[in-house]
Formats: sequence, C-alpha cells, structure tokens
Amino acid sequence: MTGAQADADAGRPPAGTPAAAGPAPVVRRHRRTLARFIGRKVLITLGLLLGVTVVTFLLVQLVPGDPTTTNLSETAQKDPTIVAAFRAKWGLDKPLIVQYFTYLGNLVHGDLGVSQSTGDSVLSDLGKYVPATLELAIPAMLLSLVISVAVGLWAAVRKDRATDHGIRAGALLGLSTPSFWLAIVVLYVFFYLLGIAPNGGRLSAKYAPPTHITGLYTVDALLTGRPVVFWDAVWHLALPVLVLTCLTVSALIRFVRSAMLEVLDQDYIKAATAKGLPRRVVLRRHVLRAGLVQVVTVSGLAFASLLSGTVLIEQIYSWPGVGQYAYRAAVNLDLPAIMGVGLFVALVYTLVNLLVDVLYGVIDPRIRLS
Amino acid sequence: MLLVGAGLAACGSEAEDSGSAKTLTVDTSFVVKSLDPGVVYEPTGNVVVHALYSTLVTFEGSDISKPVGELAESYTASDDATTFTFKLRSNAVFSDGSPVTSTDVVFSLNRLKNLKGSAAAIVKNLSFAAPDEHTVVVTSSVADPNVPAMLTMPPAGILNSKVAKEHGAVDGEDAATADKLSSYLNTNAAGSGPYVIESFDAASRIVLTANPKYWGTKPTFGRVVFQNMDIQNQKLTLSKVPTAEIALDLSGSSLDGLPKELQQTSSPNTYYQLRLDADPAVSEVTSNAKWVGAMRAAMDYQGIAALFGPGGEPAAGVVPTAYAGALPASEAQKQDLDTAKKLLAESGVGDQTVKLLYPALTFGGVDLGTIAAKVQSDAAQAGIKIELDPAPIASFLDQRKGGKVAMSFSPQLLDYPVAASMVADLMPGGNTAQAAGWTEDRADPATVAAGKKVLSTLDPEDQAKALQDWQRLMREHSPYITLAYNSGVLVASPDLTDATYTAAGWTVDVADIGSR
Repeated sequence: MTGAQADADAGRPPAGTPAAAGPAPVVRRHRRTLARFIGRKVLITLGLLLGVTVVTFLLVQLVPGDPTTTNLSETAQKDPTIVAAFRAKWGLDKPLIVQYFTYLGNLVHGDLGVSQSTGDSVLSDLGKYVPATLELAIPAMLLSLVISVAVGLWAAVRKDRATDHGIRAGALLGLSTPSFWLAIVVLYVFFYLLGIAPNGGRLSAKYAPPTHITGLYTVDALLTGRPVVFWDAVWHLALPVLVLTCLTVSALIRFVRSAMLEVLDQDYIKAATAKGLPRRVVLRRHVLRAGLVQVVTVSGLAFASLLSGTVLIEQIYSWPGVGQYAYRAAVNLDLPAIMGVGLFVALVYTLVNLLVDVLYGVIDPRIRLS
Repeated sequence: MLLVGAGLAACGSEAEDSGSAKTLTVDTSFVVKSLDPGVVYEPTGNVVVHALYSTLVTFEGSDISKPVGELAESYTASDDATTFTFKLRSNAVFSDGSPVTSTDVVFSLNRLKNLKGSAAAIVKNLSFAAPDEHTVVVTSSVADPNVPAMLTMPPAGILNSKVAKEHGAVDGEDAATADKLSSYLNTNAAGSGPYVIESFDAASRIVLTANPKYWGTKPTFGRVVFQNMDIQNQKLTLSKVPTAEIALDLSGSSLDGLPKELQQTSSPNTYYQLRLDADPAVSEVTSNAKWVGAMRAAMDYQGIAALFGPGGEPAAGVVPTAYAGALPASEAQKQDLDTAKKLLAESGVGDQTVKLLYPALTFGGVDLGTIAAKVQSDAAQAGIKIELDPAPIASFLDQRKGGKVAMSFSPQLLDYPVAASMVADLMPGGNTAQAAGWTEDRADPATVAAGKKVLSTLDPEDQAKALQDWQRLMREHSPYITLAYNSGVLVASPDLTDATYTAAGWTVDVADIGSR
C-alpha cells in the first residue's frame, strides 16, 4: 500500500495537497456517504414512526372494548349524557379516519395528545416515566455487559471444562427463570429476611424527590447537593437492577461465549499464540475486540428491551417507569398514551440500531472502511 | 451498595425532608387518575380526596348509619324528601384561610354535576341553591331520603371557588368541555380538609401534609405518604410489623400468615353476583325461570364464601351486611341439589351448555377464576353444564354493556353507602335490569311492587325493612343470584389507633388515625 493510499484510507489529505484547496475528494466522498447514510436513516425512521402510528391506531381499534367502559364508572356508563360527554371530550365521536389524521396533524407539531388516564400531556408523562426506566436500564445494561463479557469469554476459553458447563447451566437456569418470580424471591430474601434492602419505590417515604433536572433521582440528588438522597436512591435501585442484570446476563452470556469461540478458532489467533504473545494480550487485543462485534447487536436489542419497559419488575418494585405507564395505558385503552409509548419504543429501537451501526465501526475498522 | 444504603436508611436524617412531622405510610395498589373531586371515582383517589376536601356531611369512623355534619353544622329534610337545607359552620376555612361559603358549595356541586364525569351520576337528580352566605338548599327531582348520604362522598368535596375559577374551573352546563381545572388540583390545594397536597405521582406516590389552617381537629400525622405497592409487597412489608404503616389491599388468602400483632378491621361491603339474561332472544336457557331456579339451588354458598377467607360470608340477599337493610345471616342461602336436579328436569333445557363470562382478574385478594370454577363445579353436581369464558376487564365490560351476554359474574360495590341505591338499578327499568333483559312484563308483579315500596318509603328504618322484604322476593324471582359477600380489610401496624376500615366509600379516614 502506498503512502497516498494509506492517507486516503485514513481520510487524510495526501501529502503536499494545499490546505486552501479544501477537503480532499476522498474526504468529501466520505462526508457525502455519511450524509447519505444519516439521511437514509432519518427517512427510514420517519417512515417507521408513521407505520407505528398506523399499526398502533388500528390495533387499538381492533381490541375488544371501548374507552368509555374503561374510563368511566359502571354507573356513569349507563348514563347516555355522561358517555356522550366523554366521547365528545376525547374526540371519540368523530369518524376513525378523522381521529387518525387529527392525531397525525398534532404529532407533526410535536403534540402527542393528552392521556385519558392521567389528564396530562403524553409528552410530559413520558418525560416523567422514561427517566425512571433509564435509571434502571443504564446500570443494569452496563453491569450486564461487564459481567457477561468477562464470564462469556472465560467460558469460551475453558470450553468443555467444568467451568464452561457450570456457566452454561447457570445461563440456562437464568433464562428459564420467570422474571416476576426472581423479583419476588429477591425481594423476599433481601428485604424480608435480611432486612438490608427497601421494599420498592424510588426513594424512602421520608425523603422528598430531588428537584427535577434530569429526572434521574441519583443525578438530580447530586446536582442539588443532597448526598443522603443520592444514597437512598442508589439503595432503592439495587434490587431491581440486580434482577434485571441477572436476566440480561443470562441472555448475553451464550452469545458472548459463541462469538468468542468463533474468534478463538481463527488462524490469526492461533498465529498470535504461536508467536508467543502472552495469553492475556491475545485475548484482550485480538479475541475480545473481534468477538464484541457480534455481541454489540444483541446487547443493543437487550438495552432497547430494557428501555421499552420491564412491566413486571416495575410492578413488583413499585417503580414508576415507562413499563407501568404502558400497562396502565393498555388497560384503560388510553389511545394517546398507547400511541405515545408505541412511538417511544420505535424511536428507542431505531436509535439503538443506529448506535449499534456506529459502534460496529468503532470496534472493527474493516466495517468503517467498507 | 445494599449495606451502605441500609446503614444510611437507618441513620439518615429524617428531618432533612419531613421536618418534625410524624409520617403515616399507606401502602396500596394505586387506582387513581386525578385528585379533582369533580372527576374522582377510583378507590385510591377517593381516600386521598376525602382527606383533602371537606364535604357538607360525612360519616364518623366506620359508622355509616347516619350522615353527620362536616361543613354543615346542621341540616333538615322536607317531609317529602325532596328539599334539604344545610346550615354552614361559620369557622370553616379553606387552606388559604378564606371562609367556606354557600357560594363555594353551590359552585362545587354544580361543577360536579355538569362535568359529567363518573361521579356525576350520583347527583344527576339534584339542583343546588344558596339563599344566603351560610345556607345551601339541595333539591331532588325525585323523593329520596338518602340525598345527605350522597353528599358525603369524596366527589362532593367543596372547592375554593375563587381559586378554582382563577385556574380554569367552570360550573355551567358547558363544564364538560370548558373546565380546565383538573390538572391544577393534582398538585395544589383548593379544599378545606385536614390535609393539603405535597406531591402527586399517579404511578409512584402521593404525599399529603397537614393543612396548617385546618378548622377542625388537627390530625396526629403531619405527613401521609401513599405508596403504590402490589399486594405481595404489601404483605411482606406488613409482615415485618412496621410502625405507622397501613395496607389497604390485603384480603382473602393474602391475610393468611400475617403476624398477630397487626390490627385488622373489615366490613363486608362487596357482593358477588351472577347475572342471567332474561331475554329469550339472548338465551333460551337463562331466560327459563326453572333453569334459573336450578342454578340458584345448585350453588354451594357456604363453600363459595369460604374461598374469600375469614372476610367472606354466604349471601342471604343482594345487600351486603355492611349496610342497613341486609338480611340476617340466619337467612343465608343453602345448596339444595335435589331441588336443583328437579328444577333442571322441569326446565326441559336438558344438557345445553351456557357460557359464564367473567373478568379475568384478582379482586379483593381472590382470583375471580377460582370463584367461576366453583360455580361451574357446583352447577355440574346438579347436571348443569357451564363453560367458563374469562375476558380482560375492558372486553368484559364492553360485552356486558351490550346486553347480549347469557350469564356473567362480577363483584359489585355500592356507589354510596345506602342499599336503597341498588334497587332502582336492579329492578325493571333500571340500567342493570335492562342489560339483563329483565323487563316489567317478564318480572313477578309482587317483586316489582316490593321494589317500588323500597323507593317510596322515606323513613330509614321502614326503608330497611322494605329492603329485606324485597330481597326475599328477589331471591326467588329475579335474574340475579348473589353468591357471597366479601370484606374490604385494613391492616394496620400495632402502634396505630383508630385505623378503621369504613364501607363509606373512602376506605379509611387518614386524619382520624392516631398513634399510641
């Protein structure tokens, strides 16, 4: 490879090119490619979100039930004037197509509507519930990644030995355990038997929540200088994060192990080992980095799954996250809230996929170059 | 992390947030959308709104026999039970210190009626007037001695009309579309009750603090924290015998194994009823009076009540024993399989199968599927074939509203704590009867007459007797089979006093709770 080729591949202007002449053609080409890539992603996302609104709207109409039956008392349902007033208030007296396009028109202006269940705007509801879920999902995902990569790599290295069998059996056990059961058992042991964990919620009853800045209690408590509240919030995070981590680790370990096994079998790994490179160096520099490409995809989906709501865990630990919000919206046939959650979940998956695409390039330079 | 947190929790400074106020914790599985008295009807909302908003009249403790004055120092009823005059206390003030006047009362009740929310059904026959600053006159378009009982309910809470109007409240006929107050009331006080709102999160917790300007007896607890908690978690929490804590949703089997030190109070206020459609066009089977009689005789009422645990009682009539007019326990219905088999044979229905629709959920600590399976099993003993048809609650309500369901089953609660309120609804012409296809020409004339007698009797004691007579006839001649009553239960930590469950409609009055 010539020096010019190397520069081109690295996106640098070739030596001797006047700086005043602007970016080199290769750089411009890369920028155009990047712009096209982003443009395509934005268009796909918009199309996807539109599709989500259509599908969610139709699905809600297909569900047996009527918002008046779920939002009015049984006595009130029998009073035609009350039912008519409810239908008029929420636009349910208009034809479906009008309802849909009214929603879409408002959506274009950033208005997700008002939730029939809470009486607040769906956007403000999401602004309240999403941070609570984020506060669970981020530490659970980070812990899961660290643990599953370390343990999965260890299992791959110790393939077919007792350690490997033990790890695989543990992962299988974790996968087979119902999340609600694990959550209840963990609560029973750490709260009831040992008395070292709280019984749920985001903060102890004696503390008022920190001033809303990010919506993450731990961060807001630090930003507002309330260390005791910070530790209390961390304490309340412990059990749900532990359960979510156990469940996510169980799912990830098998992928990490098989990805690492595949890499360990490559000739260049054997060559590196044969060259006499220390085992630790081979594993860290060559095996781990190459194996992570496959793990990133699965991790992205796992993270999106955590973000889009873990209803049962949130229910058992009285955690006011987006999962509980979605559940209440579904039970009440609260169309604006259901649509809002649907759009949020679609956005999460789109953004996570985008992040995964970017991470591919960071982890594996070959993908970046292609 | 857990140990550090536990240590901090044990040593943490409570004073940081709650000051020196004593905190009462209320564990309950939240069913709440709004803290606006004009639209509230859910259980959690009713408990909270009752603590925030005083009403004209109320019930003291768990005694629901007669309303007593709250904002009204006295009230009188006209002989024909259509006009009720309330004299307001002169010392009652809102949380901003301004006096409660008749204008506030009329504004609040008109708004409740015209918002046309769920609670509006209670006051739909009422109109309100303020002849002077301290007098309110409530007129009912139908004779009804129970109007004061209706006005005890949390939706009849009185708003500070000046504050309410400043934040978008409307009490006119256009209130259903023009009123913009609800969201404001979720985070701000506009009442004259013993507490004001500190914070509201419908998915997590609601915090109340004592109203510094409260005109009545100051509550013992300066702070009340309602925590959203599922039933299993409530049981674990109370099993550790905490201090200053109550749980509102433990009943049925979830009470098993609780420590004996905990206090429990209850009231049998829920009735579980089968509804059979009387219209032959809907079902030739359930409209057959002999077949209905066979079903009635086949049920093992004692066995069904046992499924609810200690709080369950076999039904004697429609009215649960928490309310005046209930039949005595000695009249509880009993299984009679011989009669059931005889009536089934006489019905000519043969072995046709009927679907039993019920909501697939747990209510009062008991899975309704268990009750439905028991009904199926009891019926099978008499040769009656029933197919279970569980449905999500939204689907259940929708199907039943359509009036085309042959047989359905659900728990029922009263809108306000007067059993006579059930009569008009269950009798021909009422909404429930209509949904069950039970018209006057399909009904037994004596039963219809007994129902009319209940509604026309104005003296409460006479009305209670009339209710009993009506129920004895309904047991034989109606499309309803009441199976059992179940109790709402309040479980309280041992250090609390006056933590009493009430069938009044607001479960517990948190302002009444004291500590030893």
